[in-house]
Amino acid sequence: MIQNDLLENEQVEKILSPHPLSFMKLQSLCLFLIIWGVLVGWLVNFSEYKDLFSSNEWFPVLAWGLVLLLVGVIASLLTIKWSIFFFYLGMFAGGLGLMLSQGWLADSGVFIPFYSVAISIIGFLIVELYRKSHKYIISNLRVIFKGGIVTKRERTLRYDKITDINAKQGILGQIFGFGTIIPISQSGFGLGSDQSFAAGGVELGTKKAGFLGLFGGGKEVQTPRARSYYELHGVHPYKEIKNLIETMVQSNVITPYQQEQVEFQKEQVDVQKQMRDLLKKQIGSKEEQEEGPES
Amino acid sequence: MAVSPVDVVIFAPLAPLFGLLLFWFIQLVFIESQKYLLSKIWDRHKPLCRFTNFLGILYQTICHALGYTVTKSGISNFYVSINYGKVVPKKEKKGIFEWMSNSFLFMGPFFIPALLLLICFFLIIGSGVDIAQSIEYTFAEGMINFGTNLYAFSEYLFSFLISIDLLHPAHLGFLILLIFLGMGIRPSYIDREERIKVDMIYDLKNIKSHIMHKPLYLILLFFIAYLFFYVSFLFQQNWYVALFSIFGWLSIIAIVSLLIAHMIILLIKTTDRMATYRKLLLYLTIPISYIFMRIVFFFFLVDFSKSVSLLIMVLSTIVVLFLMLRYKTNKLKTIAKMKQLRVEDDSKRPIRK
Repeated sequence: MIQNDLLENEQVEKILSPHPLSFMKLQSLCLFLIIWGVLVGWLVNFSEYKDLFSSNEWFPVLAWGLVLLLVGVIASLLTIKWSIFFFYLGMFAGGLGLMLSQGWLADSGVFIPFYSVAISIIGFLIVELYRKSHKYIISNLRVIFKGGIVTKRERTLRYDKITDINAKQGILGQIFGFGTIIPISQSGFGLGSDQSFAAGGVELGTKKAGFLGLFGGGKEVQTPRARSYYELHGVHPYKEIKNLIETMVQSNVITPYQQEQVEFQKEQVDVQKQMRDLLKKQIGSKEEQEEGPES
Repeated sequence: MAVSPVDVVIFAPLAPLFGLLLFWFIQLVFIESQKYLLSKIWDRHKPLCRFTNFLGILYQTICHALGYTVTKSGISNFYVSINYGKVVPKKEKKGIFEWMSNSFLFMGPFFIPALLLLICFFLIIGSGVDIAQSIEYTFAEGMINFGTNLYAFSEYLFSFLISIDLLHPAHLGFLILLIFLGMGIRPSYIDREERIKVDMIYDLKNIKSHIMHKPLYLILLFFIAYLFFYVSFLFQQNWYVALFSIFGWLSIIAIVSLLIAHMIILLIKTTDRMATYRKLLLYLTIPISYIFMRIVFFFFLVDFSKSVSLLIMVLSTIVVLFLMLRYKTNKLKTIAKMKQLRVEDDSKRPIRK
């Protein structure tokens, strides 16, 4: 399969996949669901607050949903990904819909833990499927990034087109020896930006209609960032791969001395061409001279 | 019995100090033993060892940062990795402030994480520990009171631990914290990759050089301790012994957490020679046996159900471990057969066939 993708004289150095723990951000969303679901189950059924929760059948559902959405909002704001909030919202709405349609609202103390665990298991499986869909091929000529569960994506990056290499390793990566390497291409692929915006409104006037003045400002910071399909995400062993990529880039980049040599060789070739042309001309004129007197 | 003024004025303040030093030394020995065990499993369990290193360095760096905060030096940079931690103060303060922040760095990891755990413990049990009252303020009474306070606390702690409810989130959280504390409570880290010799002597040398670097500050600390004792004596309160007893409690918590961490590391080391699925089976025995017993006791109510469940969990783990070692490795088979292989002169050399 991989052999078909290779070019002439291309040899595969390494075939990599992300480390199982490299998508911990996604896995922790599922982990939180399990912990909170089980905690709600314990609070409703076994804790000293069980009387409080049993006083109204909506209390456990509201407590579960509020914390879920609150954590969803906080996580979304911190990671600038609203998909987390919508995931939790969808999960809450789905659970509520099931409870209402099946009449399980009175048994929410049992339903919520089981529902949370079931959804989390599905979540873990999806994350694992997503992880397994990644494939990075490091050859002697280029890096091939492949991935996608439904839509297949691919990126090919030649070493001579890499301008920068950004590498990062979190605490989990340091413990388990994996890390992320983002090769930034000459076109700027691999760069993202962090944006922040601040705005303030001032209402002028005191009675019916006030004047609202809006003032705002924003700033943007460029940062190495790419989707996991387009970077070497959570590769193991990190240090070895990083060294390999850097060695490959170094061996494919022309140094200033080599550039001088190339320029010099070009000049030499030009001079030789001119000499050849001159020689041809001289030979041609000689032949004409020799043919002339005879004729 | 008449109380000697010399005893009260000079020797009595030293009593809890000696007691504390003893406990602190025991804690150091346990830390050393744990580091030895970890270095034995380094090759097979690098991530675990790196994790414990990280915990140790994290505690140490937090303590150092706390030292800079207490001395109002401020923090300009805070960096933690699995084998290195660094805190840069905003203002470089010299003298007693520098010494204090360094004290936090060297001594803090022994006490500060344990203090957090002690607070959690009191929050969970929902009551305090009775402190022994001082009457005569002598050396002997100081020792006895210190010991009594430690005994009272140990009774609370062990009663809690042997009846811990692992299905209670707070109890489970406390146990996890206790394990995390035990894994990382040390002032230095192990590192087999770079072959750095970091042992108890190294830790003690650090602390000794820190103390001997500025002996005047040590004398000042002693002076403050004595002053505190005299104030307690003047007001007829047990503040002095109570303060040192708290330090003793911290040591006890640390020693218990180290013991639990030892058990876990030993279990990991023992299961190293097993196949992965057998290992998994053994580790699954722990929660399954506990949950099974709790379910049984949920329907058949008995006294001490939590303690019995814990006991059965430990016993079943030991039995499963024993069976796996017995039948799937040669670990427990060799003794009898080796005797038969010995040569006639009883020189304990096996016969070569």
